[in-house]
Amino acid sequence: MKINKKLFPYVLTLPALLVCVGILIPFFTAVYYSLQRYNLKMPHMKGFIWFDNYVRIFTDASFWNTIQVSLTYTFFTVILELLLGLGIALLLAKRTWYNNILGVLLILPLMIAPAVASLMWKLMVNPNFGVVNYFLSLIGIYDFKWASDPSTVMFTLVMVDMWVFTPFIMILLLAGLRALPKQPFEAAELDGVPGYYKFFRITLPMLFPYILTASLFRMLESIQQFDIIYALSQGGPGESSMVFQVSAYLTTFQYTNIGKAAAMMVVLWAIAYFLCHVFVKQWHKLREKTKGIA
Amino acid sequence: MISSSNTLTKIFKFLAYFFIIMFFLFPILWIFMMSFMTNDEILRKVPTIIFSPTFENYIALLKGKINTPAGVMDVFYMQNILNSFILSSCSVLLTLILGIPAAYAFARYKFKGGEDIAFTILSFKFAPALLIIIPLNLYFTKLGLYDSYFALVWVYQLITLPLLLWIVRGYFEDVSEDIEHAYRLDGHSWFKSFWKISIPLARPGIAASSLICFIFAWNNFVFALILGSSSIQPVTVGALSFITASAIPYGLIAAGIVLSVIPTLTLALIIQKYLVEGLSLGAVKG
Amino acid sequence: MSYLEIKNINKRFKDDIVFDDVSLSVNKGEFFVVFGPSGSGKTVLLRLLSGIMSQDSGQIFMDGVCIDDLDPNERDISMAFQNFALYPHMDAFENIASPLIAQKISPDEIKKRVQEVAELLKIDHVLSHKPKELSNGQKQRTSLARSLVVRPSVVLLDDPLRNVDAKIRYEMRLELPKVLKEFNTTVIYVTQDYKEAMALGERVGVLANSNFTDVDHPTHVYKKPNNITSAKLFGDPTINVLNASNISSGDLSTITASKITIESNNPNLKNQRDLFLGIRPEDIQISNQVHEGAIKVELRAKTPLNLRTVYLLRFEDGVEVLASASEEESLLIDDQKDFYIRFDNSNLNFFDQSESLIQ
Repeated sequence: MKINKKLFPYVLTLPALLVCVGILIPFFTAVYYSLQRYNLKMPHMKGFIWFDNYVRIFTDASFWNTIQVSLTYTFFTVILELLLGLGIALLLAKRTWYNNILGVLLILPLMIAPAVASLMWKLMVNPNFGVVNYFLSLIGIYDFKWASDPSTVMFTLVMVDMWVFTPFIMILLLAGLRALPKQPFEAAELDGVPGYYKFFRITLPMLFPYILTASLFRMLESIQQFDIIYALSQGGPGESSMVFQVSAYLTTFQYTNIGKAAAMMVVLWAIAYFLCHVFVKQWHKLREKTKGIA
Repeated sequence: MISSSNTLTKIFKFLAYFFIIMFFLFPILWIFMMSFMTNDEILRKVPTIIFSPTFENYIALLKGKINTPAGVMDVFYMQNILNSFILSSCSVLLTLILGIPAAYAFARYKFKGGEDIAFTILSFKFAPALLIIIPLNLYFTKLGLYDSYFALVWVYQLITLPLLLWIVRGYFEDVSEDIEHAYRLDGHSWFKSFWKISIPLARPGIAASSLICFIFAWNNFVFALILGSSSIQPVTVGALSFITASAIPYGLIAAGIVLSVIPTLTLALIIQKYLVEGLSLGAVKG
Repeated sequence: MSYLEIKNINKRFKDDIVFDDVSLSVNKGEFFVVFGPSGSGKTVLLRLLSGIMSQDSGQIFMDGVCIDDLDPNERDISMAFQNFALYPHMDAFENIASPLIAQKISPDEIKKRVQEVAELLKIDHVLSHKPKELSNGQKQRTSLARSLVVRPSVVLLDDPLRNVDAKIRYEMRLELPKVLKEFNTTVIYVTQDYKEAMALGERVGVLANSNFTDVDHPTHVYKKPNNITSAKLFGDPTINVLNASNISSGDLSTITASKITIESNNPNLKNQRDLFLGIRPEDIQISNQVHEGAIKVELRAKTPLNLRTVYLLRFEDGVEVLASASEEESLLIDDQKDFYIRFDNSNLNFFDQSESLIQ
């Protein structure tokens, strides 16, 4: 009976733990493959080449293109969503009836599968009947190429991402705004502090933990984004929107080069892991700081 | 936060509201409307809000047959919807069985390696899906699991399990431990206390997180795309195949989209309070 | 005969030692009070006894059998929690019936017994209410009913009257012992209120500094506390503790504390040079007249406390003491005139350097 007590929590978590282990097996398999020359079309050539795959992808111009595209995509989506999300949260902060309704309705885009959202937008920017093109024509913009031109495809993708995920940031920041203590603001009012000062020196610093959390989540998701890009452009035209996971997908299923795809994914995983660490450290540091302010 | 004392600010605010509503909400409305339009109406140069709605798109999807210029086509979209339901519900069910005891353990006990296990499970949310899926795809083909709901449901745990643990753990922490102790002292076994006290008292959280997990499972695309044969593919993959298939009426695609999002949108509206709570509190507690 | 026995219990949380080699024997059917300030470990003790928590080392025996390996639901011990711990999703009846259901008693029998206990505790009219519809007093009685309905050998009461309104608290203080007598069970009652300890307990155990400093009849603990800590815990206002020095010649000791000089034949005082003198405010008599052996003091402040009046008095050398007088007595004292104090030597207690009582 006594032994049971110590082991008990492990018994409870055992099933979940098994899933854990179950995930780790393919993970290590992937790492294993990344160290091999493994192409499904040429199974007889399978063999260990150690870090050759990694060397090859880092000397491959298209991989650097992938890195650049992914980072651009991540940068723009995170920054723009943060700004827009913050703006909306500030706008909706006051608890009026219209703000409350809008707050609920704005969750909806987040609830639509990103792949389906891409589909929706594809319909709306269709050159033949897309309603968005119609609106654009009213203000004098004709023939916007959206996803069919390398110069505009990134814009299109970021727009769809913003459509789906800005609500996430909005939810977090709105909750944060509403949870802020009233006293510092009341004190500032009494002191006759101007609006922008209040915002930049009081509101913003207090929102920092939320902003940090929101950006971390979005950053990790954006750098690994697959659904939106696959559904909208499949990495094209050409390679102009080839982000990490889309590239890995095509490498696996079109070029059947498992070894290379695995190597790419391990690199992506390492980047995500690194970002996580840096941010969590910053988060902890900021936590200490804001404890002094709040 | 932004004081609206002068007219300039008022105009700015009005424009802001207008932009937000147009950008975020209009598309949903438009797709709904499109689903009730015939192809001719859609292809009209100037879109109108006033039109006579038709159900032919929905009927075609439900019947599974479309009349195209090329002839009558079979469409298996309803099967996709059914697949989504099966996959999402089974995933949530499995997650409940695996996750609720684990969430309880993390909430109540401080045991060695506990935080590590919790962190590992949560980290799944941030690992690249393809890193896991590519090897899994190879395993599945070798083991012939390509056609089974069963295998896919287990892979979906990657999405649903971290989410459930994240949310339900907090709800268990909120249940007073003394109530559980009192029930044990009454003479009931640990399992009875877990089943009759802990779970009922955490029920709102468990219910809410199940629905949230359902939504996220439903919206998943990449797992089903790579690991599922066409007979078990959910609606996210099914909808996409519409675009690639030729001569499908656009109204039909719109109707397909509408059918695929109605479940999640309805659920979201029902549990919106818990949604916000679950996402934000869990995120900040980190 | 010792029924409940704890032997050499040690328990610590990280750097906080809660119990340091604690032992205690409680007799069958006894009403034993555990008294101590907050944080002294009273609740931990109850959790160890009930099996919710495990001790680091040491053993607990019930009727001669070691119960350490038994889960809480296997021990014949009930507990009424301080914050009631009622099941919010069940009504009062189901709450009380819970232990009976665990014993698989027939529904008719359950109904009968719940009704019995509820009538005894005067909550039979609210049995269908959910906990949030009950007043604090009713919640406490439901909690008590739940712990008694199964007629346990031992019942643990964790400061049950703490969260109850003051008026009801006094009523229940009279009722409780009567009710518990009906069940003939061994009771461990935990409280922070020394008055409650003195009113209820046959014996009281004072828990302080990781152990029981006194285990005795409450009056005895009050009169002869084993150390300064327990002396201070009993009594309002707190006992006066003065630094004193002792000069012994032969068996005679002369102790001086401020302006007080005492002579004693107590052989235990012989070798103590520096010690502490303790005297309770209640035991100091104030008068405006100079009687034999009275000491002159100066009135510094006066304040009412309950039905008595407390005087802050200062000796000529600056040392201050508190003295309290009853209403009638304080009416006879003229604050404008000189103040003199006297006391009975038998009310004095001496403590050595380690703060232990010198017998």
